[in-house]
Amino acid sequence: MIKLSNTKLLSITTRLLVLVLIAKSISLALMWFMPSDGVSLSVKKSFQPKYQRVDFRNMLNANTSTTKVAQNLFSGGGISITNMLLKGLYGTKESGFVIVALKSTPTKTTILSVGEVFSGYKLVSIEQSSATFSKDGAKFILLLDSSKPKDTHVNSSNTAAPELYDEPIVQQVVTRKDIEYYAKNPKQIWKEISIYEIKTKDKKGIKGFKVTRIDPKSRFATMGLQKGDLIIKANNVKLKSYRDALDLYTKIDKIDVIQIVVIRNGVEKEIVYEIN
Amino acid sequence: MVNKISKFTAYTLFFLLALMYFTPKLSLYYFVEHQIKKYGVIIDDEVVVDNGLSLSIYDAKVNVKSIESVKIKDTQIQLFGFFNSVSLRGLELSSVAASLVPTKVESVDISYNIFQPLNLNAQAVGEFGEADASFDFLDFAIHLELHPSQKMLRDYRQTLSNLKKSKEGVYTYDKTIKH
Repeated sequence: MIKLSNTKLLSITTRLLVLVLIAKSISLALMWFMPSDGVSLSVKKSFQPKYQRVDFRNMLNANTSTTKVAQNLFSGGGISITNMLLKGLYGTKESGFVIVALKSTPTKTTILSVGEVFSGYKLVSIEQSSATFSKDGAKFILLLDSSKPKDTHVNSSNTAAPELYDEPIVQQVVTRKDIEYYAKNPKQIWKEISIYEIKTKDKKGIKGFKVTRIDPKSRFATMGLQKGDLIIKANNVKLKSYRDALDLYTKIDKIDVIQIVVIRNGVEKEIVYEIN
Repeated sequence: MVNKISKFTAYTLFFLLALMYFTPKLSLYYFVEHQIKKYGVIIDDEVVVDNGLSLSIYDAKVNVKSIESVKIKDTQIQLFGFFNSVSLRGLELSSVAASLVPTKVESVDISYNIFQPLNLNAQAVGEFGEADASFDFLDFAIHLELHPSQKMLRDYRQTLSNLKKSKEGVYTYDKTIKH
């Protein structure tokens, strides 16, 4: 036994065991201070109902418009459907609204919901790019006015936008080409517009995204956004993180309508972009 | 004397290996996760395996400010003190980055050793081509050399315009981080 304790092997083994013990003690001490759980991403699922905008003004003025329409029917019965322009539409087959105008006065538009009458023509249903009217038992299909869409977009934005800015709801038309252009040239977006996150008071979350710079000659400027606007919502989703904003960006190909809510001069404004 | 030095070296090496083996690598990994969370970076959905002397992370999704930015199939971390390496395999960048760079990256190898104590080196291979990068701890300077692939040259000229092109066709990028 005495011999064994004096062997070199035992001495080395003891030293190694001591070293292992020290290493283990250090690791246990380290473990004491280290977290026992990792971090996982928790995303609060944003409630995202299908965006539908109801224009209550149409409902409230329904009687008035019917009377007017009745008068129109009497006085303007001679107007042919070929003299009408379908400027915009939104909705499903049985509900929704269309924007119509006469070719003689294309800037004077009227909003009709399904069932309402314009110049003697009753709006029966709304399709993807056309609206069906009926008159005297006959059906008429009015196609969406797509002549020179780009010009229409620029003109409507440039001329109509300043008047619309005072309205709580601003409606704009965006072409699919515009969307594709910016998707392919993301750098162009940041040349034309700067957006910066605004934190909540506790600095833990995001209140919205503020437009800090906008090129007045850019397409963004003609689309109703202004410097100082705080974008707080998009398609019913509160923009509380970059992920919320990016979710919309990634789905943009499948979206027909983008609705954003901005705070401008302390007042909430809604801007609706219909993508044609 | 030589005998004593060799004995000391052997015991030190044994101690370092034992320390490496017993170090709670999983807890250390969690600690790193908590630290990078402060910068908005969260690694999610990953499977972490302690291999004794190394740490393997499989199927990690790296989220930056809650946006899924990159998926990494396989990560191997080896930390020996005198030689440390992080090897990433099968990376796929988010589709958001598709307009800037090709999204598939085969491998990224980051290494640090005591023979170059002031430098961190990295090599990457992917659809974009091949890249060598280094970080100088003294000047806080990044130097990147990119040998672009045909795809990168053809489809991502806009991104390449941000880099400096040499006569040999190598694209370089240098940046010093203020500290």
